[in-house]
Amino acid sequence: MNNARLRFGAILLILSMVLVACGGSSEDTVEEPVVEEAPAETLAAPATTSPPPEKLVVWAEEKVAVALDPLVGAYEQAAGVDVEVVIYDFGSIKDDVLTAGPAGEGPDLFISPHDIVGEVATNGVVAPIDLGSIQSDIFDVGIAGFSYGGEVYGFPYATEAIAMYYNSDLVDGVPSTWEEVKAACDAAGTELCVGAPGGGGGGDAYHNIPFVQSDGGYIFKFDGGFDSSDVGLDNAAALASAEYLDSLVKNGTIAATDYGASMTAFQEGRSLFWMTGPWARGDAAAVNYGVGLIPAFDGSAATPFVGVRGMFISAFSEKKVLAQSFILDFFATVDVQAAMYAEDPRLPATKSLFAIVESEDPIAAQFAASAANGIPMPNIPEMGSVWGPVGDAMLIIRDQNYGTNEDTGVTVDSASDAMKLAAQQVRDAIAGG
Amino acid sequence: MYMKVSMIIRYVLLGIFNALMFYIVPLAISYESWFLLLIVGIITFLINITYLTNRLKPLKWITPGFIFLLAFVVFPAGFNFYVSFTNWQTGHILTKTQVIERLEDLTFSTEEQRGVEFDLYVMQDSDLDYYFLADLDKNNLLFGKAITSDEFNNVNYANHEPSFKDSNNNIVIPESLYLLSGKEQIANSSQLQDLSLLVDKNTRINLYNISVFGASSGRIFSSQQKYSYDDDTDILYDNTQNVACTLGDRGNFICGGESVDPGWRITVGSENYQRIIDDERFRGPLNTVATWTFQFAFFSVVLAFFVGLFLAVTLNNEKVRFQKVYRSIYIIPYAIPGFISILVFRGLLNPDFGLVNDWLDPIYQLLNIEPIRWFRTEASSKAAVLLVNTWLGFPYMFLIVTGALQSIPTELIEASKVDGATPRQSFWRITFPLLLVSISPLLIGAFAYNFNNFTLIFLLTGGGPPLVGADVSVGYTDILISFTYNLAVSGGRGVQFGLAAAVTTIIFFLVLIISAISFRYSKRLERIYGNI
Repeated sequence: MNNARLRFGAILLILSMVLVACGGSSEDTVEEPVVEEAPAETLAAPATTSPPPEKLVVWAEEKVAVALDPLVGAYEQAAGVDVEVVIYDFGSIKDDVLTAGPAGEGPDLFISPHDIVGEVATNGVVAPIDLGSIQSDIFDVGIAGFSYGGEVYGFPYATEAIAMYYNSDLVDGVPSTWEEVKAACDAAGTELCVGAPGGGGGGDAYHNIPFVQSDGGYIFKFDGGFDSSDVGLDNAAALASAEYLDSLVKNGTIAATDYGASMTAFQEGRSLFWMTGPWARGDAAAVNYGVGLIPAFDGSAATPFVGVRGMFISAFSEKKVLAQSFILDFFATVDVQAAMYAEDPRLPATKSLFAIVESEDPIAAQFAASAANGIPMPNIPEMGSVWGPVGDAMLIIRDQNYGTNEDTGVTVDSASDAMKLAAQQVRDAIAGG
Repeated sequence: MYMKVSMIIRYVLLGIFNALMFYIVPLAISYESWFLLLIVGIITFLINITYLTNRLKPLKWITPGFIFLLAFVVFPAGFNFYVSFTNWQTGHILTKTQVIERLEDLTFSTEEQRGVEFDLYVMQDSDLDYYFLADLDKNNLLFGKAITSDEFNNVNYANHEPSFKDSNNNIVIPESLYLLSGKEQIANSSQLQDLSLLVDKNTRINLYNISVFGASSGRIFSSQQKYSYDDDTDILYDNTQNVACTLGDRGNFICGGESVDPGWRITVGSENYQRIIDDERFRGPLNTVATWTFQFAFFSVVLAFFVGLFLAVTLNNEKVRFQKVYRSIYIIPYAIPGFISILVFRGLLNPDFGLVNDWLDPIYQLLNIEPIRWFRTEASSKAAVLLVNTWLGFPYMFLIVTGALQSIPTELIEASKVDGATPRQSFWRITFPLLLVSISPLLIGAFAYNFNNFTLIFLLTGGGPPLVGADVSVGYTDILISFTYNLAVSGGRGVQFGLAAAVTTIIFFLVLIISAISFRYSKRLERIYGNI
């Protein structure tokens, strides 16, 4: 018995060692370095020790990743590195960069909208970048969106802002005032007039923000940076804009639709206009469409939120210079940006690409004009406490859900009340940390 | 000697397992993850001692389950409990070591050093040492050995070397040096990124952008890092302002009166729990939310159970033809992913364009009432949530009740018939109590599940309609877990894991208590009916 057990022990040990050895050797073959031989005649010194090819990991949401992935081949070829573009769920890039980065599992580079800049910079998970000569080619709104605490935290490559789609079979363009919009709808006789997300039970502060800040209202005062202590959701101008929105809802200009409902209504020709962003062009193409600016408020141009998309460098990347080079030498070049645009059309944040796009694509130019009127979404962490309250307040107005609440005893009888409430909630949330 | 096949398989599997565990050891050491190493050690020891000796026979079946229980239930719960006592939130997500590494990693440039961009050439001599040639301008062609910051004190500064340029402004490299191409620079970038060309005491040049398509470029930085940290005294120096920073009490450094981001996470005792109790923003809506959470979980289970029960009992009748077809149809809602069903229902119930209101339109007209404004009023939203959850939940109940019905001996029913009981009496007096004996643990499980049914609420109503006038953005259909999510993840100043962990710990104990009471009750049922 003892003898037998001894034998089993031996077998076990051998097996374990063989397996460990197998694991090791298979890895060796994978990591076999590709030695770059320099031409012999210029070789004064042996070029390098033989390091394995460097690998860069890039996280991006699906559409962006699909556009980027075929392009990186050129860089891999030229630079002798592996670039792995990982399709990442849009909603979890920020959360996972915050958790995976410190755990040593994060990407070297990732693409995200700029509204996370404050949070990731505060947490120290992204590295600042000196864009150097490229900076002058980028629109100010892009740089502003990516600036935090005096540093630029990424390369902004695309902007986006909402504008107004119109059904070009039924109307010639988007009128410049809301009164004319109403008249156009009456003339066309569609079931709905303007389908804008943010109603119909689905709160959405982003799509509704032109109704807040076009005529002097603001979320956070912008003065070289967003000031979270100055909330302007309930200043006189914001209240007046909200009341104006209320009147537009009451006279049927703006329908109580959430995103899905506004989309199907436009696609089925049941609404004349659709207020949303350039990402929806594929969806809008169900009908013949054009794009125009969102009508003005009391003479002031509508100011939507401008989202800026850019590429960040993780602070936990062990290849910072390589990551910087990938951006500055490759990703930021006009050729790559143009190829990205062809696959995933977002308004360019660089002037050089914009010049190309503008002449080729008048619809993109309309979105760009809308973005030019807009302001970047505040990129400070406090923005997290804005979406809920503002979305709720706009929802009350959009769905006309006025009245006295039995549970809290608070009465919201008007659009102004709703805005005051939202402003209070935002201030409390920021004060409460 | 005779060996059983099962024995060989066992030892082979054990060998594979051990090999994997051995494989983790060097990895864990290289990541300095001593906790993982400890766990791996314990698990390996347990598994080997269980399967190599015959003394611990019963453990052979229990050990794997026990390990999974530890890894996937006890550990996450314990970790969550630990997090609830920390200030793990935006600005404090790193450990102190990581924060110091991050801070020490930061470079800075003074006003006059900033914004200068120039071509940088990387060279190597026969000893494989690197040299940088920075082409700042015509009179400033700086050349020198590229060194790490440790060597700053004992190496000469860079020299102006006009000889590296010929009359046509082309770079000429001496025979003794080899000029690295962009590709070669990239291959060595892990080394190159730590090297600098020291210009003078305060200034250095770093390689910043390796170009494979053009010339690489460099930037000028201060020779000091932005912060330097002294291990022995635990003091951080801010080299931009030349001040020593003090330790703040929230887990951060304070330089010149301002706290430096990022900070690190520290334990803060019961602070998070204190906040839940003291903070008006929590306390205010908590009552409404908690009440609805219980109602929601209770009615979800009851409705789904009775619909499932009704269908199961009906289809259990042998007179029903096509039993299997019906049963398959009723399983369908269970087979469709919840995500899809929920979003489909969201569309169906849309008050303006949804099919549900279209179908109900004749009824509205007949009764001359306003159409239901789904999702916009408290009652309709709650009704919608329960309706959809019943649809999602009844097939499960239908399945388990069907199964349980098969296990009830028919003699009991027949005996009751002989005794003169009506079918209704025999169902409520015999079948139903017997069913409850086997099913009540599952009902308790379903209750606990629905208590935390974040997906449904988040996708269907997003918590709405808003509870107007609350101190914080909260809706009528928000349950505790979605309310917590709003506060801890998407509210305030970024994410607040510590606070969220505190609330989930409280929810955990709530569910624990409810389950314990329910199990005790169901045991009583078992005692009464289990002997039949």
